[in-house]
Amino acid sequence: MTIKHESQKIAQNFYTFAVILFLVQIVVGIIAALQFIWPDFFILNFNTIKTLHINALIVWLLTGLMGATYYVIPEESETELWSVPLARLQFWATVVAITAVVLGYIWAGLNPQANKLVFGTLMLNEGRKYIEAPRWADNLIVISVLLFLFNCFMTVLKTKKWTGIQGVLLGGLTFLALMYIPGMFYTKSMVKDQFWWWWVVHLWVEGAWEIIAGALLAFMLMKVIGAKREVLEKWMYIEVGLVMFTGILGTGHHYYWIGTPAYWLWIGGIFSSLEPIPLLVMVWDAFRTTREARAVTNKAGLYYTVAHAIFNFVGAGLWGVIHTLPQVNRWTHGTQITTAHGHLAFYGAYVLLVMSMIYVTLPAIRGVKEFDPSRAFQAFWWMTISMIFIVLTTTGAGMVQTYMERLMGLDYVTVKASYNLWFWIVRAIFGVGFLIGVLIFVVDYFKLGKEPVRVIKAAPERA
Amino acid sequence: MSNKGARNLFIVGSLFFFAIFLALSFDTIGKLDKRAPEITEDVNAGKMVWHKYDCIGCHTIFGTGSYFAPDMTKVSERRPKEYLKQFMMDPKSVKPNAAMPKLGISSEEADHLIAFFDWISKVDTNGWPPKPILATAAGVNSRELSAGQKVYQSLGCSNCHTISGIGGTAGPELTHVGNKRDRAWLIGHFKNPDDYVPHSAMPKVKAPDADIEQLAEYMLTLK
Ligand code: HEC
Ligand code: HEC
Ligand code: HEM
Ligand code: HEM
Ligand SMILES: [Fe+2]
Repeated sequence: MTIKHESQKIAQNFYTFAVILFLVQIVVGIIAALQFIWPDFFILNFNTIKTLHINALIVWLLTGLMGATYYVIPEESETELWSVPLARLQFWATVVAITAVVLGYIWAGLNPQANKLVFGTLMLNEGRKYIEAPRWADNLIVISVLLFLFNCFMTVLKTKKWTGIQGVLLGGLTFLALMYIPGMFYTKSMVKDQFWWWWVVHLWVEGAWEIIAGALLAFMLMKVIGAKREVLEKWMYIEVGLVMFTGILGTGHHYYWIGTPAYWLWIGGIFSSLEPIPLLVMVWDAFRTTREARAVTNKAGLYYTVAHAIFNFVGAGLWGVIHTLPQVNRWTHGTQITTAHGHLAFYGAYVLLVMSMIYVTLPAIRGVKEFDPSRAFQAFWWMTISMIFIVLTTTGAGMVQTYMERLMGLDYVTVKASYNLWFWIVRAIFGVGFLIGVLIFVVDYFKLGKEPVRVIKAAPERA
Repeated sequence: MSNKGARNLFIVGSLFFFAIFLALSFDTIGKLDKRAPEITEDVNAGKMVWHKYDCIGCHTIFGTGSYFAPDMTKVSERRPKEYLKQFMMDPKSVKPNAAMPKLGISSEEADHLIAFFDWISKVDTNGWPPKPILATAAGVNSRELSAGQKVYQSLGCSNCHTISGIGGTAGPELTHVGNKRDRAWLIGHFKNPDDYVPHSAMPKVKAPDADIEQLAEYMLTLK
């Protein structure tokens, strides 16, 4: 496995930053889990810790996807990246901006009075979940993403090879960039605030990102198995098409109870319950292609790719659809069921996606012919089993909460502090299990291709 | 289907559904102001305070947000204003084991927040949060209520107090309060909690003397 174009190496900068943030995300996630048991456990309050947890998540997934895109575009366009210095500049600009934002969150957490209102916007933390980043940072992020997209499009224009994969990938990324904008202005009405907020949150994870996932899935199956582009691209179009046909109006599943008209109960209920279909097609696609596999050199890459397809369906599709009908959501809305779904969906759909892209592309970037996948497998099972238990405990807690608080009318605090206490303890324990998996992965990431290969088999190279 | 056909279907279909979504969004935005009271300066100031302290980082509002703390949609109906104000400014002064930190909210900010919560509670949310459907079954429906119990229910004491596992946690548990307090203390405390507990966050019980006596009788049975 070797790269065809020197500039593809830039992907590694992004991967490294992503991997480090992944580690940070999980460490603060465990602190957040402990605060469910001991609220005053840490110098920073739960809100700040959780903000760090989810912002680290989003940022590392995005940088991982950017790195992956910088790898895919030259490969598909069969040419060097338009400008490596620009990519490098964009990388460092992102790192600096993110660091500044994180320091701001911590400062605001330690001293909320420092979160001052200047020209109608809060300077350190906007107090809106996932998009806490202040306006000045939003602008920097937009500039960085525009530079990134510009660089990619200029590369494609060099050879004008509009392959399906890179067309859909760049289309998804453009949609992603556009859908950041609805989160960038202030409204006096909390209803409108949440209305636009869901454009960002929902149309990202169930629209733009899922399109990117469809394109990268096709790319990975092609690279790892050597499956035919023609067939892969056709199914890719069908998958991402169905994602859009169901997912756009599926946004309605967030417009049931926030002050929006009742017709969303119908629209959201019907369209969002169809959302698992494209995810199921992706699983089928992965299996169908894998059956054709003969000699696969990159076992870790294949393993993660297939796991991504499966857990995308389970986490987003199954754990999403169970609470998406208004009749159910009326009782489960905003409970720990939502947390359970959020975790399994993000893990299956995007954490495993970025990890599989790393395992598919990194060996080529590092120029290794073959590598020992055992650490990759260990990391996978530590993470996946721990995640399954994190999801089961929060699903359990959510069921107890729905029953006792929502149906029986017990107090929120009573349910959280006494009935659900055991779930919090078990979740925290499995959080540590997850951390072990991540540590194994981080070690593997830094060592891959840099230590002597133990087993050398003569397998024909495909990638 | 050819690849080109699949591609075109994807593009045209996506644009089609996005156009419908835009049209519905346009319609929705036009209807929102009629489904909520007018937004005064105080309400908007309260929303800003809500963002400034990142309340959404622990709480939900309209069920959206974080799941570490109670939902705020109907909080202004659930709790008296004086209680809310005191709690938000210094949670542990009201409830020693409260899991909410003291964030440094000023008195003016607390007033704005209360205006904001008032506005929130009046938004038409298609009936969310729903009323618990098993509450009466789990409550005291199965047996005759004493006069004191009826007063306790009608005055909404259980919003703040727990008896045998049922009720809210804003005030102390009353399951065994009969062991702790006597009749005179109880009646005096009901009429003016502040005289007995400095800076008490419990509202004065506004009811005829006869009801207050019944309540005290009931409390004394809780042993
Ligand atoms: C660090 C997490 C955290 C933050 C930040 C936070 N809260 Fe809380 N809040 C809690 C918890 C936990 C409770 C439940 C307290 C208890 O009873 O133990 C609570 C309870 C409350 C209550 C009482 C609810 C009731 O039903 O009695 C109000 C009102 C409230 N918070 C308002 C706010 C406001 C307004 C903000 C922002 C200015 C805020 N909170 C920020 C964690 C937080
Ligand atoms: C808004 C919440 C709230 C409501 C409503 C409320 N209380 Fe309280 N109650 C408190 C708080 C807070 C305390 C603790 C401070 C104090 O003792 O004054 C308290 C204390 C008490 C105590 C003393 C308990 C002890 O162990 O010292 C009794 C008895 C009591 N309440 C009974 C009632 C009754 C009866 C009602 C209904 C008329 C009622 N409360 C309504 C909040 C409330
Ligand atoms: C990869 C795709 C997905 C991801 C990453 C994802 C993630 C999330 C997250 C993080 C939340 C909570 C948001 C918050 O913090 O408030 C959420 C909410 C929700 N998701 Fe998903 N989701 C995905 C796909 C789906 C699908 C396909 C469905 C339905 C079939 C679905 C149904 C829901 C519903 C109904 C809620 C609202 C829960 C509530 O009422 O509290 N999701 N999702
Ligand atoms: C890659 C793995 C993980 C992903 C993708 C992930 C993702 C998320 C997301 C999207 C949220 C916000 C949605 C919500 O509030 O429910 C969240 C919140 C949270 N996460 Fe994670 N997380 C991961 C790992 C962990 C781990 C290992 C722990 C520790 C046990 C953890 C603990 C928490 C806690 C306590 C919250 C707050 C939930 C709440 O508000 O009730 N997470 N996480
Ligand atoms: Fe959604």
